[in-house]
Amino acid sequence: MAKTYQYCVAENWGKGFIDHVESQRITFAGYPGNVWQVPAYNKHGNLWIAKVAGTVKTKTEAQAIVDAEVQAAQAAWDAQSDEEKADEFNTRPADITLED
Amino acid sequence: MATYKEKVGTSVVNYAGSYPGAVDGELWYDSTNKDFKYNFTSTVGSWATGGSLNTGRRAMGGAGTQTAALGFGGNSNPGSPPYSVDIDKTEKYNGTSWTEVNDLTTARGYGTRGSGGSQTSALFYGGTPPSVLAYTESWNGTNWTEVNDLNTGRYNLGGAGADNTSALAFGGIYNPGQIQAVTESWNGTNWTQVNVLNTARSQIAGFGIATSAIAATGEGASGRLDITELWNGTNWTEVNDTNADRSGAGAAGVVNTAGLIFGGFQSSPVDSNVGKTETWNGTNWTEEADLSGPVYYQQQTGAGTASSAISFGGEGSSNQMRTATEEWSGSPVTTKVLTD
Repeated sequence: MAKTYQYCVAENWGKGFIDHVESQRITFAGYPGNVWQVPAYNKHGNLWIAKVAGTVKTKTEAQAIVDAEVQAAQAAWDAQSDEEKADEFNTRPADITLED
Repeated sequence: MATYKEKVGTSVVNYAGSYPGAVDGELWYDSTNKDFKYNFTSTVGSWATGGSLNTGRRAMGGAGTQTAALGFGGNSNPGSPPYSVDIDKTEKYNGTSWTEVNDLTTARGYGTRGSGGSQTSALFYGGTPPSVLAYTESWNGTNWTEVNDLNTGRYNLGGAGADNTSALAFGGIYNPGQIQAVTESWNGTNWTQVNVLNTARSQIAGFGIATSAIAATGEGASGRLDITELWNGTNWTEVNDTNADRSGAGAAGVVNTAGLIFGGFQSSPVDSNVGKTETWNGTNWTEEADLSGPVYYQQQTGAGTASSAISFGGEGSSNQMRTATEEWSGSPVTTKVLTD
């Protein structure tokens, strides 16, 4: 099955990282570990990855980066005291599954 | 307005790069990129990245515009020591970058995240922890000064207002399980209780001014809400629901007839942060382009108007405290390339 998305790692430098023209043309989704998802087989997605000097990752590689970030956050949460865990604003980080 | 033909005749302008001053629909040849191009004004809004906050945090207060915003207070990272730190820092945004200015008098988060006020005149009220606070602080462009308290201390309340002389505080929560419908109006000196919300709730997305405001979504006694209420200066009236329920969404807008909400925490299909953006035209909510992430966030702060807004800070899906800023354009001018 043809993939819907492609992934890269790129650090958001702020202004100009994603501009309005790019945002109008394609849908972006960012994930922990500076992982970004853009449409696959898409000229504008490819141009944006080139612009931000993104390092292209397979879905499996991207998933591993996201998992490492989430698991680190989960371990930090698990190490908290029961009192801290009971705080209404402090929910345990959820797993994230990337799409093909 | 001059037509294309009146302006340029039948010739196609040859220009190296983006042709400045091109009217909508005017065709030019970009000799640098070897493309025929034209601009059009989109009817759908979009988000673009802006400069990052110096201090990542959630549940901070906000005021101002997309190019002159103010962010203050908030709460930092649970899960990495020191646990859950209240923040007193204030930062100013100039459209490109954030700069730290004078701190709040009392560090706290979860006060109003309303989009009222400006970079030179703003108000921050309510909040927690450690206790539930009724504190109000007034910003004069340089310093915060503590002024008279809310009558009902609470956190995660909604807010609206034009400056530090006029504001509206609505809903919020006193203790877990004690969700409030109370509304208070600020006259520059004191808070006065006025007519209550129809549906008590906390984590409200609020925008507008003291006489013309919207309270959208939030966390009610039965869970997350899609309910919208409109304030006309005297009463709250329930109007059309948002498309998606959520709590902790950001909001922007300066009247009750135009605004937007974005992000938050949604119930369905599973509890999750969302990037959804909905715009309000005075009658209905319309879903538009999502925030870009990472995997969206909740408890972010908004400022600006329906057509030119800003989202900053918030909490990401793996509990990261966000420094990210995103800028909303309600009808951006987009360049179309004919080979697209």
